[in-house]
Amino acid sequence: MRRAIRTALVWSLVSAAATATAWAHHSFAAAFDMNKPVTVQGTIVQIRLENPHSWFFLDVKNASGKVERWAFEAGTPSGMVRNGFKPGIIKKGVEVTIKGFHAKDPTQNAGMLRELIMADGTVYGMFGSQQGPAAQ
Amino acid sequence: MKPRMIGTVVVAITLALVWFAPTVVRTQQAETSAPAGPAPRLADGHPDLSGVWWGGSDIGAARGRGARGGGGRGGARGSTPPPTFMSLYKPEAAAKAKTLSDKDDPTLRCVPTAFGTLNVSLWDVGAVGQIIATPKMVVMLTETYHGFRLIPTDGRPHRDDQPPAYRGDSVGRWDGDVFVVDTKNFTDNTWMSAEGRVSQHSDQLHIVERYRRVDANTLEIEATVEDPEVLTGPWTVPKQTLVLAPFDRILSLNCSGIETQALMDAAAKQSK
Repeated sequence: MRRAIRTALVWSLVSAAATATAWAHHSFAAAFDMNKPVTVQGTIVQIRLENPHSWFFLDVKNASGKVERWAFEAGTPSGMVRNGFKPGIIKKGVEVTIKGFHAKDPTQNAGMLRELIMADGTVYGMFGSQQGPAAQ
Repeated sequence: MKPRMIGTVVVAITLALVWFAPTVVRTQQAETSAPAGPAPRLADGHPDLSGVWWGGSDIGAARGRGARGGGGRGGARGSTPPPTFMSLYKPEAAAKAKTLSDKDDPTLRCVPTAFGTLNVSLWDVGAVGQIIATPKMVVMLTETYHGFRLIPTDGRPHRDDQPPAYRGDSVGRWDGDVFVVDTKNFTDNTWMSAEGRVSQHSDQLHIVERYRRVDANTLEIEATVEDPEVLTGPWTVPKQTLVLAPFDRILSLNCSGIETQALMDAAAKQSK
């Protein structure tokens, strides 16, 4: 039982940290499984800074070498822009790693963006910069 | 300790950590000094409400901190939270609310709210709005869904040629230094709030707001909301205190909710 409590508490802390910037925003919990972290590496094909939420689309090679299109939902564009994520800051065709949480529907190649990591190590969160001049 | 109680404690800790966790990004405002002095005035002597107004930061930077006044999340720590719109539902409205869920939130389809998620109509879904004031007309612009309200200041009655609208029909008048805005003629197909908070209303919704520019940097808003079809009585909105943002224009942003809605629909099918 103690182990179960400890595990639950750890997951609570992880979940809290992960969702700290996602405060109650537009029903993320209804669409994404916060117990199912996902990490993909691929090439950015489109970024849409739009309401109600921004979206990042990337092409990812799966284990068999087939290219799959993934979509990650991020924060509201006003929050992203004012927190340092200017339009054009990430170009189409760049390689990135995205960490997040998988859609509740396991058949969807989609997730909630938690971190977008550039090749040079720069990290952006779902509401903009996590490193660099606008971060703290 | 029983497992259910343990779970409750864990959830409470989680929520507390989310709510009180330190801000992870710095806002632009920290680098800009706020204007000081008394409220500026228009040529006719009334306070000039013009400016881009927010709660000190945008969504993400403050995790929805919103305007001072609680953003509808309650009063001082330890005190009884003030009532919310939904807490005043008549039994039939509360029953209807139980049939709805966050996937039914109209804002997912780019439909604005009737009031505002953080209890600030000027902001609608977001956390920033702009006022352009003239002696004859006050224009309120919301950023998230291109919303606007054109509010005459001469105390004229509501127009009779306006079809029911998402944001209603607004008229204004000055009560001393307080700008009073009366809004009605809403459609009934919006919610009061976004973010998945089920908050349906009827077309009898009636909102009276009182705007007071306290000084150069501060705008206070009080509001009373009536909806005799769904509420047991008027809802007094907690007073909201906004400050000037360190920029003079809101953004122009597109809206498309296609992927979000599709994912939520797919998730709902999975859970059946």
